[in-house]
Amino acid sequence: MSSSTAPSSSVAAGSADPSGARRNSKRPKYSRFTQQELPACKPILTPRWVISAFMLVSIVFIPIGVASLFASRDVVEIIDRYDTECIPVDARNDKVKYIQTPGNKTCTRNITVTKQMKRPIYVYYQLDNFYQNHRRYVKSRSDSQLRSNSSANAVSDCKPEDYSNGQVIVPCGLIAWSLFNDTYSFSRSGQQLAVNKRGISWKSDREHKFGKDVFPRNFQNGTLIGGARLNESIPLSEQEDLIVWMRTAALPTFRKLYGKIEEDLQVNDVIQVTLGNNYNTYSFSGKKKLVLSTTSWLGGKNDFLGIAYLTVGGLCFFLAMVFTIVYLVKPRQLGDPSYLSWNRNPGWQ
Amino acid sequence: MIIFHGDQVELARVMKEEVKKDLKNCLEEAQQYFRTVSGPKLTLVIDGKCLMYALDPSLRVMLLNLSLNCTSVVCCRVSPLQKAQVTSLVKKGARKITLSIGDGANDVSMIQAAHVGVGISGLEGMQAVMASDFAIAQFRFLSDLLLVHGRWSYLRICKVVTYFFYKNLTFTLTQFWFTFQTGFSGQRFYDDWFQSLYNVMFTSLPVIIYGLLEKDVSASLSKKYPQLYMEGIRNSFFRWRVVAAWAFSAIYQSLIFYHFVTTSSLTGQNSSGRTFGLWDVSTVAFTCVVVTVNLRLLMMCNSITRWHYVSVGGSILAWFVFVFVYSLIRENILYVIYVVMSTFYFYLAFLLVPTVALLLDFIRQGVQRWFFPYDYQIVQEIHRHEPDDNTRAGALEISNHLTADEARSFAISQLPRETSRHTGFAFDSPGYESFFASQQGVYAPQKAWDVVRRASMRSKLKAPPLPPKK
Repeated sequence: MSSSTAPSSSVAAGSADPSGARRNSKRPKYSRFTQQELPACKPILTPRWVISAFMLVSIVFIPIGVASLFASRDVVEIIDRYDTECIPVDARNDKVKYIQTPGNKTCTRNITVTKQMKRPIYVYYQLDNFYQNHRRYVKSRSDSQLRSNSSANAVSDCKPEDYSNGQVIVPCGLIAWSLFNDTYSFSRSGQQLAVNKRGISWKSDREHKFGKDVFPRNFQNGTLIGGARLNESIPLSEQEDLIVWMRTAALPTFRKLYGKIEEDLQVNDVIQVTLGNNYNTYSFSGKKKLVLSTTSWLGGKNDFLGIAYLTVGGLCFFLAMVFTIVYLVKPRQLGDPSYLSWNRNPGWQ
Repeated sequence: MIIFHGDQVELARVMKEEVKKDLKNCLEEAQQYFRTVSGPKLTLVIDGKCLMYALDPSLRVMLLNLSLNCTSVVCCRVSPLQKAQVTSLVKKGARKITLSIGDGANDVSMIQAAHVGVGISGLEGMQAVMASDFAIAQFRFLSDLLLVHGRWSYLRICKVVTYFFYKNLTFTLTQFWFTFQTGFSGQRFYDDWFQSLYNVMFTSLPVIIYGLLEKDVSASLSKKYPQLYMEGIRNSFFRWRVVAAWAFSAIYQSLIFYHFVTTSSLTGQNSSGRTFGLWDVSTVAFTCVVVTVNLRLLMMCNSITRWHYVSVGGSILAWFVFVFVYSLIRENILYVIYVVMSTFYFYLAFLLVPTVALLLDFIRQGVQRWFFPYDYQIVQEIHRHEPDDNTRAGALEISNHLTADEARSFAISQLPRETSRHTGFAFDSPGYESFFASQQGVYAPQKAWDVVRRASMRSKLKAPPLPPKK
């Protein structure tokens, strides 16, 4: 049973089992795993290892942090909030009523470029306080319907936006119904800046999630209009606004890609934005913002990664220094028997 | 010399008074010894007949006090019932954990009365083994059972239980922080199959391997430093302080996982400016959780075998294989992992988040080992340069260095064993006359069957010793 009772067991093992005649040994078959004798590495976390680990982390993290921060600093971002400004002054008392009355709701904004922006310049719309991650909202879609025409009737999760006037809605669900419908067009000193709306969604969505044979049908036909209308002759795999909108965001403050401007913008350029303020975020005090941004290899303007890396690298460096000082001031010898509790308190049981 | 005829009740009463007087004297003597600082070690010797009276409810407390003051107590000629009674007395009166070991049928009640019962299988038969919690083959294996395997089991159970709570707490709290930002609607942060398979596929095997194979010090060192056993008695690895430390670590890590991943996902994620959705963010977070939790297990291992590497690496690999296959099949997270892995952001987050999460635990381990080391850690350090001596080849080396005592006991154990015709039970009945009672001058009347039995035995003893016939 126990392998560490050395004498009798080892002699019996070594000498071709002569005691078999004397006693029938019931010892179970030996295996390194069952006897727990596997070769093992026994790491000891000495101060040397601790300090080396901290130094390694700081050496690796600080350059990465610097690179990430530079990438983020290179990105130029302009944010313009327009939801309150774009309502005429006399209608500001009842914004919801204004947004729900049909009619022409264009509004013109001027944006000044502060730093040179190299193309392509990405146009986003940012919504605040819009809970695309609400459970009922996230559930309200039918992926099988989006993918192929044959499952057009698979609308079980889409209530209440599943049938309208007895006909099935394609694409069904609240997510599609609430499609964002503000429009933006840009011009610089009278010259129109083209907005490229191709390639704004992830390729895997276009190719695998939204089918080429699915066409919108019976969409926004009900009494309540939630958002944009869809062109019924374009298949869903090419409706990139819908595809971008249907990738539900994680947080209540999110950005979605609207299009790309394929021109450079110089410092002090004034961009005129003609926007159609159609989307109703006023019922729930949401905010709408227009964002113009360049990108780097890391993405948009987000200092967080760079700052986090630098902070952690710096902290580890500081800890390495602290531990080295403590090690020199108050050393503890490795394997010092005077630290054993029975040696520290001799009379103690 | 007082001889009583007939009146058993009166006899019992007198005996009880005698025993009470004796116990009182002994107790006072013991307490007197105890008052001197370096008093001698005391042993109480009591036999079955006396114990019959001493276990009376009125005297029991005094007996217990006296026994607890002594270093050891020898009860001889006790019946099975009395063995059980003494064990229960210590168990309930002294509130200690009791272990009893025995090999015969007469030990069964004692084995069952104690907290831990150990039976020795062998010549007396298997009754003790069948009634016990642990069965061993030889009495000397008891030290291995306690000091080596008992200690390892305690360590393993404590660590496995606290680790299990920690890993589930980390995982669940990440979802909890998400609920604050979904308008409290109850939207899950992770996909359902991720959640179901977390405990089954991605984090289960390493902790099983840990519970099977973890050793803080080797078997020979465990026996060389029996004081290490005190860590179990003191319950050092499962105090509220330890559990609170794990819980705090879980809360900290869950905050890191949730906030670091979601905060950095607001803007476009790669040079094409496209943004992430809910399932992209949660897949990144889940990857970080699985990797961190598995690496945390490696951090708390004292001895790492190749099975640890296989299970930890295998679990992380299983996660990646699973998610690569799953995102081709499942509708709502179609191709999510491929989208995520095509951005630099994923790799930077994958490096940053587990490191920050494990940083606190690493600091805590470093500080604890340096300034507040456990005993087993000091023992590990003292013997850090010695090679593993637990192989059979190593054991063969040791056998050449037996002391004279060890060689003698080894030789005796190799002799052919005699099977005794007298089992232990025959000598345990209280009808047998008490030696101590006879010292006091009190004799019990002999019973008829007892006289006959002893007469037959005496005749056997008087015959010359014949070679034993089987």
